[in-house]
Amino acid sequence: MVSDDVLRTHLQELRRGTVVVASLIALRRPDYGYALLQRLTGHGFPVDANTLYPLLRRLEEQGLLTSEWNTEESRPRKFYRTSPDGEAMLDRLLADLTAVQTSMTALLEGVDR
Amino acid sequence: MTTLADRYVAATLRSVPAPRREEIATELRASIQDMIEGRTDGGEETAAAEREVLTELGDPAQLAARYADRRLQLIGPRYYLAWERLLKLLLSFIPAMVGLVVGLVAATDGKSVGAAVGAGFASAFEVAVQIAFWVTLVFAVLERTNTPLHLPDWSVDQLPEAPVERQITLTDTAAAIGFLALFIAYLPLQHFRSFVPADGAGNLPVLDPALWSFWLPFLIAVLVASVGLEFAKYRAGRFTWPLVAVNAVLNLAFAVPVVWLMSADRLLNPDLVARFEWLREGHNLKTVTTVVVVTTILVVLWDTVDSVIKARRAAR
Repeated sequence: MVSDDVLRTHLQELRRGTVVVASLIALRRPDYGYALLQRLTGHGFPVDANTLYPLLRRLEEQGLLTSEWNTEESRPRKFYRTSPDGEAMLDRLLADLTAVQTSMTALLEGVDR
Repeated sequence: MTTLADRYVAATLRSVPAPRREEIATELRASIQDMIEGRTDGGEETAAAEREVLTELGDPAQLAARYADRRLQLIGPRYYLAWERLLKLLLSFIPAMVGLVVGLVAATDGKSVGAAVGAGFASAFEVAVQIAFWVTLVFAVLERTNTPLHLPDWSVDQLPEAPVERQITLTDTAAAIGFLALFIAYLPLQHFRSFVPADGAGNLPVLDPALWSFWLPFLIAVLVASVGLEFAKYRAGRFTWPLVAVNAVLNLAFAVPVVWLMSADRLLNPDLVARFEWLREGHNLKTVTTVVVVTTILVVLWDTVDSVIKARRAAR
């Protein structure tokens, strides 16, 4: 029986990176940090606030997201949206995710338990 | 905005690069408020919700490091091996060299042996600490500034030779030769400087000076041959049966004369015995003789048995 710690580490490794893909997809519809956090969690991508907020800024710096301040509501909020560059990157990432899934399926079928 | 969240934002901003500070502050403040509202909408008390939200966000220094994309490590994997190798290389000889030089200077300066050794060790330790500190500091700065080192890539040619399994290690050989050298040096030395003052000038030798006609040179020759045996053992890397035989012969050649001379009261200088009243009293001289004889036999026996055990183990 593997310990919970080992399992947690491997799951974390597996999940790392998927947050970026999920964010790029979700932000095709512009949103602010906390709302995006709620949406991702609702769709089965639980992510820590202290990971997501810095990540959004980094993706913006890399030109994958654009941002706009919305001052109409009770407090000013920064809305992020997936940029054309982000869209192109997302295509590549999704293609790779599919390739991983395909390879994994082929491997599963080729190897007996 | 309550004080706790304010303090949290301020603490986070402290280590975020200045140009982005204002923007991050506004966004982070809004995010914290959003998170708190998300909880109070669920019926939670504001103060408790605030504490929970800030606890969830965690150490502000860590959050700031994530914003600034700064790594939380003194020396990361990129520099670690270079740091470790350089440190080991420098520590392997510089402290010892400095300690030796300082010790020698102190000794020639007329200090006592103890004081010279102490000065040597103190300097060696100080130099080691200095090296460790400065090398680590330089690498920590490299890590912060992300400076490329341009070190040559690793190649298979750098692989060390496969380690040869040695039964006779260099340490053992060095220790044995060191001990033999001290012993050989002691034999002539005790003749001139035994630290037992003679009646006239000079010192009383510990061993009977009459032995210089044959037995003492003979024992020195045996000890020199033993040094040769240590070299042979190291070259062979293990005990072989011929080495066991030579070892046994040399052990006998040393022990038999010592035991015989000691039992016949011919080993110690008679003047020395006459000098110490304690030695002449009752059975005291006999006791000393017995101790020397038994110790010699035990040491020689143990050494011989040990060599046989090692030879058998090596032959397997």
